[in-house]
Amino acid sequence: MRRQQAVAAAVGVVVSLLAGLMILWLQGYPAAQSYSALFSYSLFSQFALFSTLNKASTLVLTGTSAAVGFGSNCINLGQVGQFLMGAMAAAAFGIAVGLPKWLTLPLVILASIVAGAGWSLLAALMKLKWRMNEFITTLMLNFVADYFTQWLISGPMLDPRAYSPMTRMTNPQAWLGMYNGLSGSVAVAACSFAVTWLVWNRSKFGYECRVMGQNPSFAAAGGCAVPRNFVLAMLLSGALAGLAGGLMVIGGMQHRFVKGIGANYAWDGVMIAIVAGNSIAATGLYALFFAVLQTGAMGMELETAVPSEFALVLQAIVVLAVVASRESTRLFLAGLAARIRARRAIALGDARAAQAAQLAQRAEADHAAPTGGGQDEPRA
Amino acid sequence: MSLALELVRSSLLAATPVLLAGIGGAYTYFANVFNIAMEGMMLIGAFTAVAGSYAARSWVVGLAAGIGGGLVAAALFTLFAVALRTDEFVTGTAINMLALGGTTYALRQMFGVRGAFMSGQIQAIPRWNLPLGPVLGGHPFVVYVALALALVADWHIRRTRFGLRLRAAGEDPRVLDAAGVSSQAVRAWSIMISGALCGLAGAYLSLGYVTLFAENMSNGRGWISLAVIILTRGRPLGILVMSLLFGLFDGIGMSLQGTAIPAQLTQMVPYIATLVALRVYSLRSRNEH
Repeated sequence: MRRQQAVAAAVGVVVSLLAGLMILWLQGYPAAQSYSALFSYSLFSQFALFSTLNKASTLVLTGTSAAVGFGSNCINLGQVGQFLMGAMAAAAFGIAVGLPKWLTLPLVILASIVAGAGWSLLAALMKLKWRMNEFITTLMLNFVADYFTQWLISGPMLDPRAYSPMTRMTNPQAWLGMYNGLSGSVAVAACSFAVTWLVWNRSKFGYECRVMGQNPSFAAAGGCAVPRNFVLAMLLSGALAGLAGGLMVIGGMQHRFVKGIGANYAWDGVMIAIVAGNSIAATGLYALFFAVLQTGAMGMELETAVPSEFALVLQAIVVLAVVASRESTRLFLAGLAARIRARRAIALGDARAAQAAQLAQRAEADHAAPTGGGQDEPRA
Repeated sequence: MSLALELVRSSLLAATPVLLAGIGGAYTYFANVFNIAMEGMMLIGAFTAVAGSYAARSWVVGLAAGIGGGLVAAALFTLFAVALRTDEFVTGTAINMLALGGTTYALRQMFGVRGAFMSGQIQAIPRWNLPLGPVLGGHPFVVYVALALALVADWHIRRTRFGLRLRAAGEDPRVLDAAGVSSQAVRAWSIMISGALCGLAGAYLSLGYVTLFAENMSNGRGWISLAVIILTRGRPLGILVMSLLFGLFDGIGMSLQGTAIPAQLTQMVPYIATLVALRVYSLRSRNEH
């Protein structure tokens, strides 16, 4: 099963890279040269590799945030808001707190985690207390957080010396620092990733969440505290997104909350979780892959003038291709297995078994349509 | 013109894209397709409408291109979600991202700008000076089309053979298949209809509401439409009422902009109103049980 998924993912990635090549070629860009720039500017030098890792540190956090949510059947699409609230908390604490570094840094990181988790807690409570669908409430809260932080950075927290909306610079005690171009946030993100992996795959809570993700009714029947786990999963998901935002402030180059700080990191995380099938380990891999695409796209723009936004297009194609190839492979193999069973039964001369296997094949082809995720959400 | 009149007029203008996308989403709602891609379809429609209007210097071409853009996005959705049986949530999210990335990329690639593209060469949708009084008269004609479409869709879904099949495809596709009608085809049609209407909504945004294309200019309207559909359980007349209500809140937010309240805070109003509406809905549905 795992090998089958790996093959499907490889097929999907290759297909989407070829599709990207075709698009570039059709638009008259030197396609092969663009691709070689894409990879050489993201992998084949120390600076390039470190830039990729810096970017991956953000993506891995938003990615695991989405994976933890989706994987336990909470459709948390509020990474945008949680990211911004985390970044804002880090900026506010970084400006206000002037304690020694060993005390300030953990405090600022904690603030961003709490802010992100708090923002997702709002949606979790709306779901539990008021039965409001979390996938709509988190989306709406994104806009609220976006405008709220925009107001803060252009009003109460505006740096009077700045020409565009941004906060003041944080105290140097709240800086993670750069080591030869490798941001300290890589270490923090790697630790958080390891902890999340352990919690998800090795703890009772993680196990219950995964069961909830597979089948909520079974989880409830099996004695899981579904509402409690739902809130905890939402908190964990929000905390990871908030941490990603906080690291943008304390581990970045600018050390402040600037307009547009979230870029597209939150939605990139959602895509990474989807393409990884909500597995934490695969989320790490795809976060690296997406970081390669995004970092390399800058180099591609330098070398062959392809707008760097091409990375966004390529990412969406990767998601569609990988997920579609995963489903098609599954259906194809299920059909193949049924056909083999039918043929074997015919060879044995058992007409009834052959008929049954053929029926099974047809049924599998008809009803193996995946119905995961939020298919029934609007009716709930 | 009095302030109240101005408010009602701007509400109607702001309600139109939500209404159009909502009607489109009603079709997919009844076919039980989880259509989270409306946001992206709208954004693609807004872009292709501006591109078409700019290239041909004609609003007719722009409008057609907008609908065409929505249809292309819908065809992609159909290809993956219906033909290849990929999960609808996954496909929809990917199409939203493709729309965001694709339009941002195309904006730079075709027009060489970041952020927003405006030009005198973009022809806007004409306004109709209908003799309907100061509130209803003088809007871009798509506004009237949207109002009429709400009535047509209500009849179409509830009273025609296609509507019956559509609802059957949502309730129990096996029954429809047994009756000799492909439920997959009905689902595909519902997605295409929603694509066309979301494309129209996008074209209205970029050629009627304003005359420019800006990155991510749909700005959550597709998701508000999704909330509206959930709130009204897909009934087009309910969608009409709810989107007018959201238009009103949008208008209130805009008319507050001249006051002491910062613009960033007044822009939150429609989104908070959506949350409040969902809360009211959850109260009502609890009473029903």
